[in-house]
Amino acid sequence: MCAWNLVGTTPARADVPWPTAPEGGRASRATSSGEDALSVSQAVEIAAGALDALPLLTVIGEVTGFRGPNARSGHCYFQIKDDAAAVDCIVWRGVYGKRTFDLRDGMQVQFTGNFNLYKPTGRMSFVAKSFTLAGEGLLRQQVAALAEKLRREGLMDEARKRHIPAFCSRVAVVTSLSGAVIDDVKRTLRRRNPLVELVCVGAKVQGEGAPDELIGALGRAAAIEPAPDCILLVRGGGSFEDLMTFNDESLARAVAACPIPVITGIGHEPDTSICDMVSDRRCSTPTAAAESVAPAMTDLAELLAARERRLASATQSLVRGAAGQVDTLAHRIVMAQGSRLAQLRSALDAAARRPCLQDPAYVVDRRVAELAQTADRLAGAIVRDQGRHRESVELLAPRLKRSTSGFSGKRHALELAASRLAHEGRALLAAPSSALSAQAASLDALSPLKVLSRGYSIAYDETGVATSADRFEPGSTIRVALADGEVTGTVTKVERGQRPQM
Amino acid sequence: MADVKPVDELTYKEASQELERIIRSLESGDMELEESLESYSRGVELLKSLRSRLADAEQKVSVLLADVDGTDTLVPAEAADTSDTLSF
Repeated sequence: MCAWNLVGTTPARADVPWPTAPEGGRASRATSSGEDALSVSQAVEIAAGALDALPLLTVIGEVTGFRGPNARSGHCYFQIKDDAAAVDCIVWRGVYGKRTFDLRDGMQVQFTGNFNLYKPTGRMSFVAKSFTLAGEGLLRQQVAALAEKLRREGLMDEARKRHIPAFCSRVAVVTSLSGAVIDDVKRTLRRRNPLVELVCVGAKVQGEGAPDELIGALGRAAAIEPAPDCILLVRGGGSFEDLMTFNDESLARAVAACPIPVITGIGHEPDTSICDMVSDRRCSTPTAAAESVAPAMTDLAELLAARERRLASATQSLVRGAAGQVDTLAHRIVMAQGSRLAQLRSALDAAARRPCLQDPAYVVDRRVAELAQTADRLAGAIVRDQGRHRESVELLAPRLKRSTSGFSGKRHALELAASRLAHEGRALLAAPSSALSAQAASLDALSPLKVLSRGYSIAYDETGVATSADRFEPGSTIRVALADGEVTGTVTKVERGQRPQM
Repeated sequence: MADVKPVDELTYKEASQELERIIRSLESGDMELEESLESYSRGVELLKSLRSRLADAEQKVSVLLADVDGTDTLVPAEAADTSDTLSF
């Protein structure tokens, strides 16, 4: 350890306090080497004290070896350097937590803090209590703040961006007329599409007064008659400071307010200026911006070829369609006629197939068959009816027989009664009958009619038997009953009191 | 066609747009046959004109210059040189 060889070369300083309790081993070795020699601890302590005595320092340096906060502790360990020197730098976790931007390698940063010596290793570090961006970093931060401000105002809204025709035929180019950029734009468009007419409007693109010239040029370009389809605001690559012109707030506002759509192509990818953000289309380079204004001639030629094909095929399909329609109509009329005829034919066939037309006897036959059926039904019905009646009669006969079985006894009694009645009757009539015969004989002997037979007659007038001649007068009718008949005559003379001689 | 202008009087863009319109209306298919044939002839004419313009196109460049009295005038300028060497 060469550190031990330094013993005695560092003069002791009275105002630096000695270590109150140097470690025993080291102290004893130091003392054994000589009275003036310091232990390492003493030496480091002196140095640390000297550093602590320095006032608060502000240092600008470039960040290098930054690997982010330590994963375990959250503290940041890196270096800051300039062209000739470098020093370790520490940002404690608490300080880093209050940062306004992330530290990155290459950043110019202004640190405020103190030197500190870490005694176990003897390494000196600058411990930052705060840090801010400096130089380009500061500029970038300012640009970011401006961008944020304009974004809040809505200048970067997608809805604000104006439509740029796919094929701009008249384009204003705002850039420096002395640089290579204008030639590049011209050459690009001459190759890509010579139909695009270019109007060049010159302006300073960097340095003092450049933003104002560019604002003026934008206004002049927008005022060109006839108006261009778009304005190309372009500039070649450069340092961040060179491109700062395009981060100018007034220029950005002029771009946003320009009545003609603005296409920007500033610097090279990945440069992004505020003008890029507020423009209507942002391209990464001037060449890309020039290419974006119109399609390539080969594309146009292809487009024309495609259109030629579409024109031909559309017309062809229209003509074919019309022809097809005519064909269809022709076909339909044939089909319609055919189907109508077929319909009529089939109706006719159906009519012809009707039985009444096929066989004139059909109707009669059918009736005959019906009649035969009816006759059969009738015959069947009669037979069934007779059967039913026969059955009932057959049932009645024995019943009748049974019901008359008591008649023979009664008939015999009746016959007996009849013969007794006849016998009694005859016996009863015998006596009166013989008496009647005797009376009849005597009656017969007394009858006037018997008298008549002896020559007497009976005269009748109109009212009956006439017993007096007074009952007659000439002219009246007289009937005379004789034994074997009557005579009727007219009275011619009436004589009273005279009796005829017998 | 209401706006029948001689094809030569149309700008490239106008002619191109009219051609596209014609093709679209033809493609829509609801045109009378006579009208579609008329459109077709016009389309062919436009195509021919556009083709020849593409073939003969020459770059036109001008520079806007401020006069002494402050008014701007357009001054014809040279087109890009035809050599293909890059200048940067």
